Amino acid sequence: MLTKLFSSKLMEPKLKEAKFSLFLLNRNKLTKISLIIVLLLILIAVISPWIAPYPGHTDLEVNPQDKLLPPSSQYFFGTDELGRDIFSRVIFGTRISLNTALVAVILSLIIGIPLGAVAGTIGGKIDELIMRITDIFLSFPPLLLAIAIAAVLGPSLQNAMIAIAISWWPWYTRLVRGQAISLKERQFVKAAEAIGTSQNKIIFKHIIPNCISPVIVQASMDMGGVILTISSLSFLGLGAQAPTPEWGLMISTSRNFFLNAWWYSIFPGIAIFITVLAFNLLGDGLREILDPKTRKN
Amino acid sequence: MKKYILRRILLGIIVLFGVIAITFTITRVIPSDPAAKWVGPRATHEQIQEARIELGLDQPYIIQFGKYISDLLHGDLGYSLRSHQPVATELKNYIPATVELVLLATLLAIILGIPLGIYSAKYKNRWLDHLSRLFSVGAVSLPTFWVALFLQLIFFSKLEILPLGGRISTNISIMYELPNITGMLLFDSLVTGKFMIFKDAFLHMILPGITVALYPIGLVARMTRSALLEILNEEYIVASRSYGLPEKTVLWIYALKNSLGPTSTVVALSVGYTLMNTFLVEAIFSWPGIGRYISDAVIGLDYPAIMGVTIFSAVVYLALNLIADIIIALDPRVRV
Amino acid sequence: MKIHMKRNLMLLLVMILLVSLAFSGCGGGTGNGDEEQQQPVSIAYYATNSEPILDWDPSVMFSNGIIVLNNIYETLLRYDAVNNEIIPVLAESYGKSDDSLVWTFNIRQGVKFHDGTDLNAEAVKYSIDRTMRINKGASYIWAAVKEINVVDEYTVEFVLNYPAPMDLIASTGYAAFIYSPASVTSDDSEWFSSGQECGTGPYMLQSQVPGDEVVLTKYEEYWSGWEGEHFDKVVIKKVTETSSRRQMIEKGEADVTINLPYEDVEAMKDNEDVTIELENSYINVASYFNTQKAPLDDKLVRQALSYAFPYDDVVEFVLGGYGTQGRGPVPKGLWGHGKTLKQYTYDLDKAKELLAEAGYPDGGFSLLYTYMSGDEEEKKTAQLYKAELAKIGVDLEIRGMPWDSQWEMSKGDPEGRQDMLVMYWWPDYPSPVSWLYNLYHSEEEPLFNLGYYSNEQVDALIEEADQKSASDIAEAEELFVQAQEIIVDEAPAIFQYDKINVWVENNTFKGHVPNPAYPNVVFFYNTYRGE
Repeated sequence: MLTKLFSSKLMEPKLKEAKFSLFLLNRNKLTKISLIIVLLLILIAVISPWIAPYPGHTDLEVNPQDKLLPPSSQYFFGTDELGRDIFSRVIFGTRISLNTALVAVILSLIIGIPLGAVAGTIGGKIDELIMRITDIFLSFPPLLLAIAIAAVLGPSLQNAMIAIAISWWPWYTRLVRGQAISLKERQFVKAAEAIGTSQNKIIFKHIIPNCISPVIVQASMDMGGVILTISSLSFLGLGAQAPTPEWGLMISTSRNFFLNAWWYSIFPGIAIFITVLAFNLLGDGLREILDPKTRKN
Repeated sequence: MKKYILRRILLGIIVLFGVIAITFTITRVIPSDPAAKWVGPRATHEQIQEARIELGLDQPYIIQFGKYISDLLHGDLGYSLRSHQPVATELKNYIPATVELVLLATLLAIILGIPLGIYSAKYKNRWLDHLSRLFSVGAVSLPTFWVALFLQLIFFSKLEILPLGGRISTNISIMYELPNITGMLLFDSLVTGKFMIFKDAFLHMILPGITVALYPIGLVARMTRSALLEILNEEYIVASRSYGLPEKTVLWIYALKNSLGPTSTVVALSVGYTLMNTFLVEAIFSWPGIGRYISDAVIGLDYPAIMGVTIFSAVVYLALNLIADIIIALDPRVRV
Repeated sequence: MKIHMKRNLMLLLVMILLVSLAFSGCGGGTGNGDEEQQQPVSIAYYATNSEPILDWDPSVMFSNGIIVLNNIYETLLRYDAVNNEIIPVLAESYGKSDDSLVWTFNIRQGVKFHDGTDLNAEAVKYSIDRTMRINKGASYIWAAVKEINVVDEYTVEFVLNYPAPMDLIASTGYAAFIYSPASVTSDDSEWFSSGQECGTGPYMLQSQVPGDEVVLTKYEEYWSGWEGEHFDKVVIKKVTETSSRRQMIEKGEADVTINLPYEDVEAMKDNEDVTIELENSYINVASYFNTQKAPLDDKLVRQALSYAFPYDDVVEFVLGGYGTQGRGPVPKGLWGHGKTLKQYTYDLDKAKELLAEAGYPDGGFSLLYTYMSGDEEEKKTAQLYKAELAKIGVDLEIRGMPWDSQWEMSKGDPEGRQDMLVMYWWPDYPSPVSWLYNLYHSEEEPLFNLGYYSNEQVDALIEEADQKSASDIAEAEELFVQAQEIIVDEAPAIFQYDKINVWVENNTFKGHVPNPAYPNVVFFYNTYRGE
């Protein structure tokens, strides 16, 4: 992906831009901290099987004798209703949330990018049609469409990802279409058209590679929202299935033990909060850094 | 101008039709048998077959869809499979409670979110900005359902100062006639001067109100900030600054005026997110609104009810977006 | 122009909010001269976990509404499951012909419906006829009825096609209510749906927030009178969160609730303000094997999987001791329960042995186990079972689904059906036939026999026993147990547990005796406020 980005003829100024971006990032403390947290979360997700003290508790192992124990040196975050270590499960949940969110976003990119590129490049009736369809999808209040689709597909983490992708792609279609329209007027596209390159080739060789970077930025900003949506679906019983240590599912289950075991709901909640917050702060910061309108300030 | 508005309304209707078509299709492929649901939990095959004909489910898809649309035009949303009541009647019962909550949240979003965004933009990258950004980004990063649980734990269980849930205390609702003008208790009790009821309803409103408002407050603050930042960099603002106009005038008059468009869009958008939050927390607060209604409908696979709520929310959402677009269009600075 | 309007509107809204804040600040309880104080009334408050009632038509209602309707309407008889006797309600007495094909009920005189008209034989005939005509909900309980005849003003006669226990049927908590023909004139439910009722019961509907709260108030003309202590009003309210229900009981806001997690019950045991009442319910839970699909079509595999189920752990950690391991399909406490039936025990060695004998020495297959999403007990059980099966090399995929999806899947394409399905069962009227016929009798198309079990011998025994139950309960019981012996041996299901319902009550709430024949129902007329 990255090599593609830099292989274009616009490499020179891009490199300069990138350096400037790094400088801006360094100056914005909140963004820098959030970037560090995000990187840490990714690290935790990768090495979770090795750092979780009770890796078996994240899968099918149960230990009901030790149920609902408060936090202690043996179980840092206490145990759940089947005696499983909540710390291990929260750690492992990082992997699940990041993974699902990533897949959901990639799925929506796969739908959204080509549609947007086609709409923007070809224009006319096809553009009109695609944009009306995105309008329709965007007129569902947030979450509602995902709820309905998850209900149809049946509750599972996989189906939750599909449901989110189906309700999320129109945002990328809109973004890419805008990019495509402006790219269409650029010299190198005009040149390609002039030598008779087919429209397909223009879309996939010239348009899509050149609008990918703002899309990636947008997608990374969306990660927080997607993670929150997944946990909401799981909370409603439309996402992850037991015994998967998904945060939203853990909170949903913990409701029943709310008065006896405060630790059960509080830690997964904090995990969601920190993760979503870090991604949102990073996204906000990135947008400012990369947005030509605000960057000169 | 008129032409533009007309065109927008027409487009809105087309989009709404699409929304209905998609929802209808989704509900028809839900893996459950509406006829079996309609008859009851222990139906016989014969009962189910009879119900299938009664509900018109033996007809081809396109005819069912046509019938749904024509009923819809007469304000008929079909019957709930669980309660056998007209969905339209049920919605009428549940909508005021949700609207009350959404209105309060939106109001809070406007009176807290916009100033927060303005100050954040004004003091960009200073501690006030960091603090307000942390708050506004934090507000949109909290899992609402979790906030609801903890507010209950703190204010009901521990401090014992606020009620656990519901719209009004039971002894009040039994002993006194509740005013019913709009169905929104706060407004109705205020207008009719029933202050005891008003006070009780208000206390019940605080926790759900705060929970649901967090997201829109954060959202509005964030969007106002970024909209303002963009505008503050525009040439005419830079120019007016260089003319020596006081910063206050620049910010509040020039910049804010110009961010009215984006802000009204954000408010419209935030209503959507507030609705989303009501879906998640109304059950926790025993709040008898459409959020709890749809979460019950989803669990019970009551498809006419799911459709009813979806269409209602989509209409509200579309209408707000339309209004926002028209506000932008009416702005003489924006050329259409 | 429009912007200005918008701004003014906004200003108005802000002002309303400010005014409202001001009022709440000064504790506005002073300006309520128009709200006159009434006599103090006693109110009972029941917090339920689901909608108090969805369907107001007493002929159709077949779900949670049982709680509300049994206080508004009455049936001819009532079955006292604790003492195993039939209590006369609207029928003062009844008799049957020798062949059990004609049942005669003598209707109580001087009973008034809430609409002021008198109860008579005609009303009884009208109500049950209408229920059968509409043919929804639990109306099938009347399947044996050929016709209903009005003998005289206060005598009604049921003529049957085949023998059936009409005394038990007429006691059912669904589809057996008697209502006023003066108010109900049509077969559609519209009159009821508009929030009206016309029963003979002790309470009338005062008001409701649909799907949320029902308020009942006493019916002054109730035939049994209002001597002694009773509640004037009853509130039945939906409170979904278990933690909320517990807190409401602890703080004295609610009087009675049910279905709390046992962890909460344990925590409340030492609270002096709270009474815990146990009910040997008729509710039990079993998981059904798909007996049509390999490898579960092999009896040995089913037996092996029955030995791998952690019965004791489930009773201890899922139910907290509020329940017992099931013994055959019929729950403890109901006639027809087989006290001597074989029980499978948790024995992994035995399970492995049987699997090896069936040709699966190391397990090596996976199964899909579906349960009802949102049910924490079923979810916990599923996870405990999954862990055990892993030890004998069987992979269990557990999936929580809304009941309707789960049911649809089990009735759908045989290839796509589940391998195991968990289902609660409780009877419409108290007879073992409810379990045996619905769950184990052969079906051409599956409806509730979701293990797709089919055994001619069992079918014949069940049919014979059912007809006998109208005349000779003891003989019927023997036949029912015989059928169960075969079923237990063939293991089409794991008989997980019989449930004990735990009622949690404020200890000033007196007089409530749970009756397992009417699940979740409190007959509020019998309850009162005491010290």
